[in-house]
Amino acid sequence: MAKVTRNSWDGAYAKLESALKSAAPTDAKALAGLEKIRLRFLGRKGLLTELLKKLKDLSLEERRELGPKAQALRASLDEKIAARKAALEARADEAALAQTALDLTLPPFPRARGRLHPLTQTMQEMAKIFSLMGFSWADGPLVETEYYNFEALNIPAHHPARDLQDTFYLEDPGLVMRTHTSPVQIRVMESNRPPLRIICPGRVFRNEEVDATHSAVFHQVEGLVVDKNISFADLKGTLDQFLKRLFGPTTRTRFIPSYFPFTEPSAQVDVGCLFCAGSGCGVCKQSGWIEMLGAGVVNPNVFKAVNYDPQAWSGFAFGIGVERVAMLRLGVKDIRSFYENDIRFLNQFYESIV
Amino acid sequence: MKVSYSWLKEYLPLEMSAGDLAERLPMIGFEVAGQTSRGPGFSGVVAAQILAIAKHPNADRLSLCMVDDGKRKFSVVCGAGNIAVGQKIPLAKIGALLPGGRQITRAKIRGVESEGMICSSEELGLGAQSNGGGILVMDPQTELGLDVSRSLGPVDEILDIEISPNRPDCLSHFGLARELAAYFRLPLIPLAAPELKTPQGSCLPVRVADAQACPRYLGRILTNLKIGPSPGWLALKLEAVGLRPINNLVDITNYILMDIGQPLHAFDLDLLAGTQIAVRFASEGETIKALDNKDYALTPSCLVIADAEKPVAVAGVMGGLESAVTVKTTRAFLESAYFDPIVVRKTSAALRLRSDSSYRFERGADIAMVETASERAAGLILKLCGKDAQASPPLNVGKERAETAPILVTTSRINEILGADFPDEAITSTLRSIDPGLEERAGKTLHFSPPSCRRDLATAWDLSEEIGRLLGYEHIPAKISSVALRPSRAAPGQTIAERCRQRLAALGLCEAYNYDFLSEKLLRMARPDDKNLARIANPLSEDWTTLRPTLLIGLLQNAAANLNRGTKSVRLFELGKTYRKTPSGLEERARAAAILLGPVAPPFWGPQKIRRNDFYDTKGVVLDLLAYIPGLALVPFKACDPLFHPGASLRLSTPKGVLGALGLLHPPIARAWGLERENASIFELDLDLLAELEPARFQFSPYSRHPSAARDLSVVVDKKIPYADVAAVLRGCAIAELKSLELVDLFEGRGVPKGKQSLTLRLTFGRLDRALTDVEVNAAVEKILAALKSELKAVLR
Repeated sequence: MAKVTRNSWDGAYAKLESALKSAAPTDAKALAGLEKIRLRFLGRKGLLTELLKKLKDLSLEERRELGPKAQALRASLDEKIAARKAALEARADEAALAQTALDLTLPPFPRARGRLHPLTQTMQEMAKIFSLMGFSWADGPLVETEYYNFEALNIPAHHPARDLQDTFYLEDPGLVMRTHTSPVQIRVMESNRPPLRIICPGRVFRNEEVDATHSAVFHQVEGLVVDKNISFADLKGTLDQFLKRLFGPTTRTRFIPSYFPFTEPSAQVDVGCLFCAGSGCGVCKQSGWIEMLGAGVVNPNVFKAVNYDPQAWSGFAFGIGVERVAMLRLGVKDIRSFYENDIRFLNQFYESIV
Repeated sequence: MKVSYSWLKEYLPLEMSAGDLAERLPMIGFEVAGQTSRGPGFSGVVAAQILAIAKHPNADRLSLCMVDDGKRKFSVVCGAGNIAVGQKIPLAKIGALLPGGRQITRAKIRGVESEGMICSSEELGLGAQSNGGGILVMDPQTELGLDVSRSLGPVDEILDIEISPNRPDCLSHFGLARELAAYFRLPLIPLAAPELKTPQGSCLPVRVADAQACPRYLGRILTNLKIGPSPGWLALKLEAVGLRPINNLVDITNYILMDIGQPLHAFDLDLLAGTQIAVRFASEGETIKALDNKDYALTPSCLVIADAEKPVAVAGVMGGLESAVTVKTTRAFLESAYFDPIVVRKTSAALRLRSDSSYRFERGADIAMVETASERAAGLILKLCGKDAQASPPLNVGKERAETAPILVTTSRINEILGADFPDEAITSTLRSIDPGLEERAGKTLHFSPPSCRRDLATAWDLSEEIGRLLGYEHIPAKISSVALRPSRAAPGQTIAERCRQRLAALGLCEAYNYDFLSEKLLRMARPDDKNLARIANPLSEDWTTLRPTLLIGLLQNAAANLNRGTKSVRLFELGKTYRKTPSGLEERARAAAILLGPVAPPFWGPQKIRRNDFYDTKGVVLDLLAYIPGLALVPFKACDPLFHPGASLRLSTPKGVLGALGLLHPPIARAWGLERENASIFELDLDLLAELEPARFQFSPYSRHPSAARDLSVVVDKKIPYADVAAVLRGCAIAELKSLELVDLFEGRGVPKGKQSLTLRLTFGRLDRALTDVEVNAAVEKILAALKSELKAVLR
């Protein structure tokens, strides 16, 4: 290899400068051309790379003079190439975008539509409201003994109150399909000491003809509170709050006398009609009120059945029909729709309803 | 109960309209099911004028009137004494219908034809007579031909009121008036004492065999009776409350029932054998034909009224047909009694026979009304059943009142139960409106003696309800309880159920709700040999006889129904109870089940087509659902449940037992439900067992920061070798560096010998501390290939 001298280096530098004029990065038309330019000057055997390598053969003084000059050239070249690269990439992206514009209005890739049953959604929402009020969830069997379904709830055998609930009896003596969720009250109290605050969402059965507003199988959310000094006023406050959470903060409630063997005093709880705001319409039969649930102060006979002292403890209980709430809120007119399992029905109720 | 508003007002000076009352009734616990207006109980009666009066040729006390209704003239026979020419009168024309169902027909009276009838006020049911049996003389301005019934408009309002079982005291007009008097603080108009002629003769002896079943029995004999239709006012009152008039004597007993709530029964005395009445339980083998014309086999739990030979009435329920009062009756035995509620209910249930009478007795009649009712009935009978009718003195067996313990309570206790702040005076005056004898004794204790009609009042809670009800629930404050900071919790089954529901919905399944009942026919289709079915003794229909042993039958029904309605894709799951009989009783278990068929999602327009659901999709759903259960083993099973395909089903085993199964639908079952073209798959899990399983504890496991090496191996193996065996061989090589195994292709056909298949396995190798060299990876692959070859005769493709 020929010895590097000041002259030969200067000559090479001049050659490089003129080469740069004929192949400036700013002239590159495409990324490939730019890369070629980069390799020509800055590649392993590129012109500038070679020039920088040759510096080491020069004297210290020469290196001090020429080194910065060559480095400056390199920096400027790097910068130019990077700038040009960015410009060319942006142009390529634009071109690609123009080529492949998406029709954003096309339907998406479909996912199977899974849905919770509207009655599940309704029960979950009610349960959630009560959970936030400190109620625990309890559970009980659907096939009950007559004792739990009736006797322990102050409905003795041969009592006309049994007529209030048409009952399915099993062939096995003493067993019934539970007619309400209230037997769970007894089961919970038998195995727990007060204070208690429980709800039980679940399925119940009545032996009555099925039509648009009656189902022989339906659902209730049962509630029970037992503590010291619980009164009818606590029942009013709790259920008023619950109904306001369920139907909205402006919901009006009304408590009117009713009869259940297991509560005394007993009440029917109505809410101001959700459709006409009380002025009277077809849904509320012009009354302005919709019957929503049954409730009452726990009858002392029920406490006696579970060995709670009715002088020491007091409580209230309530039961809400789930189908009724779901029908009102979802605009379902026929209770049988809930049990037909037509996918066109089930598909409609996304979880946002609750 | 149907309540006539005008009848109610006989006992209460109500100023409000019936409609207003209907709105107030729910506020004290009486639901109103309906309200109807009632016009006069007649039709075909027009206003007419008397043009001429002539003597009846054959009868001194009858007249022959010529009347004119403005269109034509009628010749009418009339017996009234107050007729005069020029009067405007109500003319019932031929075909007119009068109260009690009496129809006016063309008739000859003493040989002279009468073209209708001139009516009295009483005959039109417009109330008691003021002019002593004469005709109703109308306003001289009345237009001729006017339809009298239409011009009168509604004369009464009928309220259909629901009386809860604890309030039998309100099952009559007087009883309801008494209740309303307490609420509205109005004076109750007392029952007027009937006028009774001097009693004649004596009553039959009555023997009560069981004083507990019949604490009180009062008999009376009535003689010289003339049985016929009731007067219009009586017939109309019964019709107003939904009863059919029969004859004057029977109607009187029904009237008393509706008036004061005490059931009565009248026997034809001449059709009773012997000279004694017995109240006793029936003997085995005795029967009775009741008034409904049906025969009933009596059991020893049935209380009956018997003559010397046989039962003649089912006590408190219904009389016998053979001793019923008819037009031929001249002597009657009138029963007024108090029967034990449970005895009547048991009797009524045993015979499946109910009546207005049993309805009241089983809820509890008022023992104090027994005598009043008999007296009032006798008074009416003497008035309405023939002018010579006579009544005997009553014969009374048993006690006149039931002893009730007083309720001791304080006003503060009542306010405590209600959470209210009612003034003492308001509480005592309200209680006094129910028990006028309310006493206040030492220590502010109130002694409340429940009246005999209020069997529902026994405790401080009962009185609290009375106070709340009569003073208004709206005056009790709504209190927000102070909250104790106790965490709430859910039963384990509920947590699991909620989790399953959320997961399955997220996996694209819709939740179904089926009934718990199935028909025998469906069950036989699915489970011909099931011997453990639980059945309903009184099903609604043939479709609802049996409790479901599996959720899958309901889902099969749903799938078939959805396909019939044109749905292509069915992905349904259900959570619910299943039932089966076991030697230790009925077992109820919570399960989750699903059926999947058709495309897994709606169609897509792009090149990626939507798959049809198959066994492996369903297996994926189940494994996703159960991913948190350690020790889950999937074992092929052949027989067990007839719903599952014997060659394409897996049992899900856990250390605590079988959790369930998944698989294709068994072809015969698919055919039976019309799903044979659908390749449907199903699964069912035991949620009670799932709730018992300890979930896996997920712990962080470190992964390498160094690059891993992947190798795809295509190996050809015999088709009979299950994939699980291939995977087991790889595991058996115990190569720590093998981080994952994925099956990326399964192929048979060109290049693969018959009876064999090619599996492409993607193996990923790596180490935590450094990258592996090619040499190391190759060595591992060689080891694996050698093992596959020696154990499964697998060769590299």
